Parts: sequence; structure tokens; C-alpha cells
Amino acid sequence: MQFAVPPRKGPSPPPYARASLLTFHRRKQLKATAILTLALLAVFFLLSQLFRNRAGNSAAPIGTSGVVIVTLLDRASYSDSYLQKIIKNREDYAERHGYTNFFANLSDYDSYIGNSPRSWGIVPAVRHAMASHPSATYFFHLDAHALFMNPNESLEARLLNKHRLESLMRRDVPVVPPDSIIKTFSHLRSEDIDLIATNDAEDLATGSFVIRQGDFARFFLDTWFDPLYRSYNFAKAETHSLEHIVQWHPTVLARLALVPQRVINSYSKDSTHAAVDGTYKDGDLIIRFFECDTDPKRSCEKEMGPYYSLWAKKLKIE
Amino acid sequence: MSLPRSPSPRPGSGWLSPSSTLGSGRSTPFNSFYPPALSDPWLAAKAKSDEVRGYPSFSTPNKGFFSRSKRRIIATLPGFRMRSTSPKIYAEKDGVIYGSGRGWRSLWLGRTTLRRRRSRFFLAMLLLALGYLFFWTFFVEAFRRSIFGGGRKFVIILQSNTEGGVMEWKGAREWATERNSILNKKEYAKRWGYNLEIVNMLAKKRYSHEWREGWEKVDILRETMRKYPNAEWFWWLDLTTYIMEPSYSLQGHLFDRLEEVVYRDINEYNPLNITHPPIQPYFDEISRSANGDDDPSSIQVLLSQDCGGFNLGSFFVHRSLFTERLLDTWWDPIMYEQKHMEWEHKEQDAFEYLYTNQPWVRSSVAFVPQRYINSFPPGACGDSLDPKFHYTEGGRDFVVNMAGCDFGRDCWNEMYQYREYSKWLNRTRWQRLRSWYLDMYRALFGD
Repeated sequence: MQFAVPPRKGPSPPPYARASLLTFHRRKQLKATAILTLALLAVFFLLSQLFRNRAGNSAAPIGTSGVVIVTLLDRASYSDSYLQKIIKNREDYAERHGYTNFFANLSDYDSYIGNSPRSWGIVPAVRHAMASHPSATYFFHLDAHALFMNPNESLEARLLNKHRLESLMRRDVPVVPPDSIIKTFSHLRSEDIDLIATNDAEDLATGSFVIRQGDFARFFLDTWFDPLYRSYNFAKAETHSLEHIVQWHPTVLARLALVPQRVINSYSKDSTHAAVDGTYKDGDLIIRFFECDTDPKRSCEKEMGPYYSLWAKKLKIE
Repeated sequence: MSLPRSPSPRPGSGWLSPSSTLGSGRSTPFNSFYPPALSDPWLAAKAKSDEVRGYPSFSTPNKGFFSRSKRRIIATLPGFRMRSTSPKIYAEKDGVIYGSGRGWRSLWLGRTTLRRRRSRFFLAMLLLALGYLFFWTFFVEAFRRSIFGGGRKFVIILQSNTEGGVMEWKGAREWATERNSILNKKEYAKRWGYNLEIVNMLAKKRYSHEWREGWEKVDILRETMRKYPNAEWFWWLDLTTYIMEPSYSLQGHLFDRLEEVVYRDINEYNPLNITHPPIQPYFDEISRSANGDDDPSSIQVLLSQDCGGFNLGSFFVHRSLFTERLLDTWWDPIMYEQKHMEWEHKEQDAFEYLYTNQPWVRSSVAFVPQRYINSFPPGACGDSLDPKFHYTEGGRDFVVNMAGCDFGRDCWNEMYQYREYSKWLNRTRWQRLRSWYLDMYRALFGD
């Protein structure tokens, strides 16, 4: 039977039209499945990354600010009232910002220091603080003869914040003042930094530095405390040893940030050897009575007295 | 109702289900284009009778492939003339003609198309066999060298030209030792796709004027790491080593089974009597534990101990921050200044010192029993033949290290002996058969 016009046949295409391989409907379906699989893959990838990071990182999880203030106290040489002042000052500061205090006894480390000067005790003390606070990130070693004078300023705001640290880092300056040929790297970024220290007019300061928990800290502290350094008769014991390490070992220098002295290490006006603009001014976070313990003409307790009452007054006003 | 056949689809109207037409009331087909609805008993009977008649409407005669082209196929078949060539063979006595109809010839070579196909097949097989014989190792080695093979993760650093003849004249025997040692490592590295870095240990004023020759090893390790940025493990080998079993890959021999092979607690074998683990209370848990974190992925240095302590004649270093730090502190001028008179073995003693005194080193160093990477020849570790250190015949040890052969022993002689023994151990099947045959012959008929 012949028809003039072929009968219409519903939604299916006319037989003479070229059949497309993929109908509109099928194409839509395919698109949907493709997007879905991509999304699923992305989710799996993200999850795997997350868990890998969690499993592989032995250091503290990101986000916990965890700062530990390490203080090495020589209970035998100083009066209890003096030490109590220091402790009170630091406990107040730690409480305000959620930090932890670690007070170590110098006498605990005597047997490990051996015949070397007792000032070496700071190295095992910091290592000890790290062992007892494995989840904290930053360890701030502050010499005992020092006070927090600006209790409301947190360490993050003062120093540890990424942008703050980036702006404070002194690049391409001699590590050991005044004219060491070894200079701090100029390309370092705040992520690279594991050790933050300051210079005074003569040396790298060991009385106030921040170190980050991790493999570097273990390596650095163990190297610093090496028996051959302790037996070497450095004139300034651990300070010169630190300077030696920093100048001879680029793996340490590459992790070191030098910041201006007054950020964490302002010297009182009685202290000598402050760097240019290194003497305490009102509003600084910390005042240190540098070398008040080694100089026989000075007395730490006397020097600290007025500043302590200044700090106590500030607390009362609040 | 039952159908004679399964219902079939119809053009234009999809699937016809029997029930849809059952109650339609039509008794005659309205469209002759479609076959009649089989539900109708009358039509069903008609269809059946059509089938019986033998000319189903849908099939046409001569439609099958064979029936259509039978003639053509037959015409193309080669003619097969019997008795034309060797009738005596094909005609049996009882008159039955062997191979009547289709002879074996027609199956074999008789047909041109088949013949061509078959010969092509044989040619391909032959080529494959030849390719296997001549190129298989080439392909395997190329694969191992490629990024997928994993061979590029390893670098063998071979010390050579020790002193460079500056201190002592280099004679023929020294040259021969060096040549053989280098060739041995070259072949091994080629076989497994590893990188080989032969370093010239020529005495340099830069090192010798401060008595710090061992410092060079550290510098070389650093330079090599820079040169091969994609490699992971670096294997230091002294010149007087010989790889006895080139069929062992580093992966299979060591790195795929680190957990089973290594020990991290030095108390397992402790010739230096190092106090382990450190007991100071100010160390963290990992530093104070005897096994570190006990995770094979934290191993960065892999070495063996001989009867006198650490042996750095054959050891592995992994590229990592740890290694960078270790290489950095390994040679410290202040330590060296105080100790260089005592440290007779230079870098080896310095490393022992670091291991003993700096606990961060311990948690990433692992030891492997000596005979895995560093077997000694008799005489290298005292007069005893303790199988803990010494190569034993039949033990199939990986590497032999003729340590100290230049002190009162003969390096070239030892290397020659081990080279021949290694060749004999790893002889091919054919050689094995030949020697077996010769042995038999000798046993039977004497020399």
C-alpha cells in the first residue's frame, strides 16, 4: 500500500533522518553520571588527603595554639620570694592567653651537664618541656630574670602570627653581630621557620627564643647539647655553641628567623650589650635583667623590684 | 493459549502481545502487510499448514551463505590429483585409497589461503621467539629504568680511584681491581635500571691539608643527591666490594621487606656497647624507646655492623630532611678538632659518635645483619670464620666487601676469586648442563 506521506510515528525520529548516536535523553543521562562520578572522586580524594595528613603528622594538629613558656629556675641560689614573683607574673600571663607554664629545676639537670657550666641547663629544660607537652606547638624559653610587662598582648599578636612574623624577620643580616660573614637567608618565609631568636649587641640571645615542636627541634637541641661542644671551653658556653651551630650548619640557619631585639627580649637599662633600640621602653612585652645573675655588682632582686610593682599596679587598675 | 513460536516484534507497532488482539473482534486481517494474528485459531491453523508445506513465507531458497557460494568455493579449491606424484604411498593394498576425498595435503598446504595464513603465523612466531631471545632483556631493562619500573629510585655510588695514586703508586693489580669492581656494578645497575655514580676519590688538598679526607664522602653524598633529584635511596659502595648475586634486586632483597630484615634496637648486636635506649628523662618517648617509632618508613639510614662496630663500606641513605641534617652535622669542625686524633676511621667513627651522643640520630637509623649487604671474606674480622660476618659458600650472599684487603692481603687476588665464584654460581642453564655432562664424562672415563 502506498501513502503520499509516510504516517507520523510518535516521538521516534523519521526513518530517513540520520539517526544520531546519542539521543538527547541519553546524553543528559551520561552528563549526569559523569558529573556524579567526578564529584564522588573529588570527595574521595579530599577525604584521603585529610586522613593522610592526620595519620602522618606526629606534631601538634593545626589550630591548637599551644604555647608553652619554659622557665629554668635555680632554686638553690635565689630566695623563694623572688622566684615566687617570677612564677606569679608568668602564671598570670599564661592564664590570660591560655598558655602553659613549664617550670624546670636546674638541679634536675646537673648530672647530665657534668663539668660544663650550669647555664647549659636550658637545653635539656626545653627538651624536657617538649617531652612533657607533646601536643603543644611553640616553646618559648624565657630566662628566669625577666618579667612580662604587657600582660594583655598575646605572643601570637606580638610575634607568632604568620604575617607578623613575616614582617618582623630580619633578612640578610649577620647572624652574629656585628660582622659575621654568615647572614640570615633572605628568601625564607614564615612557614620555614622553626626557631625564632634575637640578637643583642654581641651575641645571639639564648635567654629568650621560641622553638617549634618537631623533628627540627629534636635535631637542633640534641646537637646543641653535644658533649663535645660542652667540653670545648667556649667563653660563653651555650651561647657561643649556638652561634657556632648557626654559622656552620646551614640546615639550622635555614630554619632560623632573627627578629628585632625588643620584640621578645628588651633589656633593662642597667643591662649592658643591648642592641641598637634594644633597651626596654614602656609598652614592650618583656623586660629582661640581662646578666644580673653573672655580674657581681648587680642584684637581680633589687633590679626587678620596681618593675614588678609597676606590673602589679597595672593588674590592679584593670 | 499456546503459540507455535514465540511472538515476534512487528515493524511500527512494537511488541504484539497475544491478549491485546484477543478481544478485538476482528476475524480477518485488515492489513495484508502484517502477518495474521496468531491468536486466531483459524489463522493459526493456516500458518501451521504453511509451515508444513515447506515454503515458509519468510525464507527464500538459496539464502544461506554456503548454499549461495558453494560453487564459488569449490571452484577456488585447488585441484587434488591422486597418484600423480607418489602413488605407492597413498594407495593401500586393500584398495581403500588413503586420503580419499580430502587428503592430508588439503588440510596442510594444499590451500593457498590457508597456506598463506599459516606461514604468516609461523613467521610471527619465529619473530617473537627471536625477539624474546635477543630483545627481551633489553625491554625488561628499559622498563626497569623507566618511571614505572622504579629503578630510577636507586643510585649506586661507587668509590673509585682511592687516593688517585698520589700516596702510593698504582700498579697493574690495582687497576685490575678497579676495572673489575666498576664493571661489576655497571652490569648490576644496567640489569636493574639503577643509576650508577662512579666517584673519583682523588686525594685533594682541600681535604688532606686538614686531615679530613672522610669529609669527602659526605660532600659526595650531597652532590649526588643534587645530581639525581628523583632518586630516593643512595647506596654507597667501597671500591673493594663485589656484587655476588646480580639477580637480587634492591627492592626484593631489602626495601620491600624492611620490616622483616632490619633491627633498630642496637642491643640485638652491640659490639660498641652503646647504651641503648637513652634513659635521660628529658627526652621524648620516641627518643627513649629502643625501637624508635618502629615504622619502616622512618628509616633514613640503613647500615650494617661488623665485629668492630659500624661499617660504612656499604650502606644506604634515604633522601630526607633527616639525611640533610645528618650530613650537615656529620662533620663539625669543633668535634673534629677535638677528636681527629682518636677517630682512626674518620667518617665512620664520627658517625658512631653522633649515634651515641645525639638521640635524634638513633630514631632514624636501622641496622641490617651484615651478610645482607656487606659480607666479609675470611680474615677481615679476626681469624675466626664467624658466619655472622663472613661470606660462606652456598650462602648466596648479596655483596662481599673485601674490607682491609690493602692491609696485608691481596685485593686483586680476592676479587678475582670472588668474581670467578660468582660467575660459577650464576652460570646459565646451558653452562650447568655442560658442566654436568663433563663431570659425568670424567666420572665415567677419567680424564
